[in-house]
Amino acid sequence: MTMLPLGAVFALSLVAYSGGAVASLLSWREAGLARRICCGTALAGAILTGIGGLLALVQETPAAWSVSSGIPLFSYSFTYDALAGFFNLVLAILAIAVSIYSFSYLKEFEGKRNIGVFGFLFHLMLLSLTVVFTAANAFLFLIGWEVLALVAAGLVAFYHEDRASRRAGFLYAVMSHIDGGCLLLGFALLIKVSGSAEFATFHNIAAQMSSGELTAAFLLFFLGFGMKAGIIPFHIWLPAAHPVAPSNVSGLLSGIVIKCGIYGMIRIFLDSFGVVPSWVGLLVLIVGVVSAVLGVLYALMEHDLKRLLAYSSIENVGIIFMGIGAALIFRANGHPLLAGLALIAATFHTLNHAMFKCLLFLGAGSVLHSTGTRNMENMGGLIRPMPVTAFCFLIGAVAISGLPPLNGFVSEWFTYQSLLAGYGATGRLTRILFPLAGSMLALTGALAAACFVKAFAITFLALPRELKQHEVHESPRSMLVGMGFLATACVVLGVGATWVLPLFDGMMNQLLGQRVVGHFITGNGLVLAASTPAGGTVSTAVIGVGLMVLLLPAIFLVKAGAKQFGRKRGPAWDCGLPGLTSQNEYTSTAFSKALRMVFSVLYQPRREIQSVFDISPYFPKEIRFESGIEPTFEKRLYNPLKQLILSWSKRMRAIQAGSIHAYLVYIFITLILLLLFGVRP
Amino acid sequence: MYFVPNPELGNKIIILMAALVLVLQIAAVGQRGIISSIRIFGVQSFLLAGIATVIAYFNKAEHVYVAAILTVLLKAVVLPRVLERLVEKIGIRREIEPLINVPLSILTAGGLTLLGYVVAASFYHPEETAGPAALGHNTLPVAIALFLIGFFVMVNRRKALTQVLGLLSLENGMFLAAISLTYGMPLVVDIGIFFDVLVAVMVLGILVFRIREAFDSMDVSKLRKLRE
Repeated sequence: MTMLPLGAVFALSLVAYSGGAVASLLSWREAGLARRICCGTALAGAILTGIGGLLALVQETPAAWSVSSGIPLFSYSFTYDALAGFFNLVLAILAIAVSIYSFSYLKEFEGKRNIGVFGFLFHLMLLSLTVVFTAANAFLFLIGWEVLALVAAGLVAFYHEDRASRRAGFLYAVMSHIDGGCLLLGFALLIKVSGSAEFATFHNIAAQMSSGELTAAFLLFFLGFGMKAGIIPFHIWLPAAHPVAPSNVSGLLSGIVIKCGIYGMIRIFLDSFGVVPSWVGLLVLIVGVVSAVLGVLYALMEHDLKRLLAYSSIENVGIIFMGIGAALIFRANGHPLLAGLALIAATFHTLNHAMFKCLLFLGAGSVLHSTGTRNMENMGGLIRPMPVTAFCFLIGAVAISGLPPLNGFVSEWFTYQSLLAGYGATGRLTRILFPLAGSMLALTGALAAACFVKAFAITFLALPRELKQHEVHESPRSMLVGMGFLATACVVLGVGATWVLPLFDGMMNQLLGQRVVGHFITGNGLVLAASTPAGGTVSTAVIGVGLMVLLLPAIFLVKAGAKQFGRKRGPAWDCGLPGLTSQNEYTSTAFSKALRMVFSVLYQPRREIQSVFDISPYFPKEIRFESGIEPTFEKRLYNPLKQLILSWSKRMRAIQAGSIHAYLVYIFITLILLLLFGVRP
Repeated sequence: MYFVPNPELGNKIIILMAALVLVLQIAAVGQRGIISSIRIFGVQSFLLAGIATVIAYFNKAEHVYVAAILTVLLKAVVLPRVLERLVEKIGIRREIEPLINVPLSILTAGGLTLLGYVVAASFYHPEETAGPAALGHNTLPVAIALFLIGFFVMVNRRKALTQVLGLLSLENGMFLAAISLTYGMPLVVDIGIFFDVLVAVMVLGILVFRIREAFDSMDVSKLRKLRE
C-alpha cells in the first residue's frame, strides 16, 4: 500500500483537531454552537485517526515523513508504524465515544461555563496525544508530551472555583513537570550516544551504551513514563486529578492519557533499546505487581465512585506493567515466543482497559450528571431510574473484573499464562518471582471483582438511600450512545478476541522481529492457546455462545411462566423480616469492612466513636462515628519530601535580597569569575 | 578615483574608532547628567556603525552595511530620541546618583578594561589569522571591556532609566564583538538583536512609568518592598 492515504488521513486529522481548537475558542460566545463544533470536529478528527491507526496496523511498511526545521537536533519527523497505529486506534475509539457522549453532557455547561475554552483544551489534548504517538524526533515527542501535560492540567482544574480541582490541577502540573524533566535527561543521554534526536537512530541503542549509561537512561525513562502511567509510588496525583475533572475528560485521562506512559515504555524499552539486561524487566515486573495489588486494595476502600475508578486504573496499569516486565525478561533470556505472549497480554490489556475504564467513567459521569454526587453512600437503587446506564456500567464492571467472555478476561488470561510460563523458562530468581507474581495477579483479580461488585451493587442495586427516586432521571440519548459504543467494544473484543488479535501481528513483528500471534490461536481460529508446555487453552467465542444458549431459554421460560402464572413482585432478601428500609442496607464502608480487617497492616484503619450524653452514659444524646484509612504514601514518602524541599528553599531565601542591584551584582560576579575561569592558563 | 582597499589603513581607522568608543564608554561612567549620558550613547552607536561600515568595505561583506545602517537609524537616532522624550515626560533633570562615587567608578572601569584585555589575550593569535581576515580582531578586548563596563553601569545606577542606558551600551559591546569576530552574523540574527533591544527599551520605558506610579520614585532600590 502506498503512503499517500495514510499521510493524507494523518494530516487531515491534525487539521481537524487544530481547526476544531481554534473554532471552538472563537465561538465561545455562542454556547450551543461551541458545543456542536467541539463535539463535531473532535468526532471527525477521531474517525480519521481511527482510519489512520487501522491502516498503519495492517500495512507492512511504516510510513514516515520528515521536515527539517533548521534548528539543530530538531525536525518535524513523524513515523506512523504499527505501534503508533495501535495507540492511535485506541485513542480514536475512545475519542469517538467521548465526542458522542459529550454532545449532551456539555449541555449542562451552557450558560454556566465556557464551552469554547473546554473545546479548545479538548482538541489540543487529542492533537497532542496523536503527536506523542507518531513523533519520531525526541524533541517533537517532548513538545507533544508537554503540551499534553499542560492541557490535561487545565482540564483537571476545569471546575476552577472548587479548591480540590485547583489543587489537583496544580499537583498534576508538578508531577508532569518532574516526569518531563526525567524524560528530557533520558533523551539527552540517548542523543549523546547516538548523536541525533531522531528515533530511527535510537534503534538497538542499548548495545552502544556502557552499563552505567544504560542504567541511568533506564531509570530516567522508567521514572518519567512510570509517573505518567501512575504506578505506585508515583501515583498520588492520579486519584486526586481524575475524579475532579469533568467526567468525559476523566474517561480520556484514565483511558488514554496515562497510556502514554505505557506507549513510551514500549517505544523506548522494546522498540529502541533492543535487548536489555533482565534486571530491567524484573524491576518493571515488581513495580507492576505492587501497583496492581495496592491499587485495587485502595480502590476497595473508596466510596467516591470516581476515585474508586481512579485507583482501579493504578491496578490495571500495574497489570500492564507485569506484561511488559515479563516480555523484557523473556527477551533478555532469548524466548521470543514467550515475550510475544507477554507483550500481547500487555498491549491487549492496554486496549481493553482503555475501553472499560472509559466506559465506567462515562457511566459514573452519567450518574453524577443525574444525581449530582460522587458519594456512593448516598446512591442505591439507581438501576430503576437509569436502566441503560446501569446496564452499560455492569458490562464495564464485568469486563474489568476479568470475567469471561468479556475482554478483560482475555488479556488477564494472557498475562497469567505468560507469568506461569516463566516458571519453566528462566533463571533461578525469576523462577521464584514469576509464580509469585502470578499469584499476586490472582489476588488482584479477586479483589477487583469484589471491588466492582461493591461499586455496582451499592450504586445501582438495593433501595435508594439519600436520593429522591423521582429526581433521578436517565441521561440524554447521546450519552447513552457513547457508553453503548464502548460497551459493545468490550463485548466484541472479548468474544471476538481470536479475530481481533491477528491485527496485533504487525506490531509484534515490529517489536520482536517475529510474527507470533498465529501461535496463540488454534481450533479454526476460535480458541486462544498459550502454546507453552504448561499452557492452557480457552475460547471466549464458545463461552459467549454457551452463555447465549443457556440464557435465551431461561429468558423464554421466565416470560412464558409470567404469562401463565401472572407476575408477582415481592421484597428481595428480607430474610422473612418485612418492612426493612434503606437504613438496613449494606453501605459501601460496611461491604469492605472484612477486607479492611484482613489487610489492616496496610490500611492502618482509624476509627473513632464519640458519645455525647447528659447524665447517664447509658442514654447518649448523640453518637459520632468516624472511620478512615491512613494515606501511607502521602504520610511516609511525600510529606517528608515536601518538608525537606521547603526547608532547603527557606535556606536559599537568604540570597533573595529583593534588590535588583544585588541580583545584577550576582550576575556580574558570576560572569567575571567565568571569564577568568575560561582564560586560566 | 577608485579607492584601493588597504587593510593596513582599514585597521588603523578601526583601532582609532574603537579607542574613541572605549573612551566614550568610560566617559559615560563618569557622567552625571542624564541627557548627556543619552547623547554619549548616541555618538558611541554612531562610531560603532562606522566600524561596521569599514569592516564591510574592506571585507566586501555587503550585509554588514545593512547592520550598520540599522545601527545608525535605531541606536544613534531613534533610541536617544525616545529616551530623551521619556526624560522630558517624567520631568526629571536631576543628576544621576551613582552608588559608588565618580573617581572610584572610573577607576573600576579602568580595571574592567584591563580585564577585557587579559581575557581577550587568550583568543588573540595574530600569527594564525594574518591578512585582511584579521581585520578588526584586535577590537575584541574593547568589545569585552564595553560589555563589562556596561554591566557595571547597570549595577552602579539607582534609576531604572539609567540602567537602561547601561544595558544599551552592554549591547553595543556585544555588537562590536560580533562584527569584529565574524564580520557580521547572519542578517536574521542581527535584526533579531535589534528587535530585542527595541522591545527591551519599550518594556523598560513602560516599567519606569509603573515604578514611578507605584513608588513615587524611579529608584529601583525601593522594589525591595516587593519581596514580602
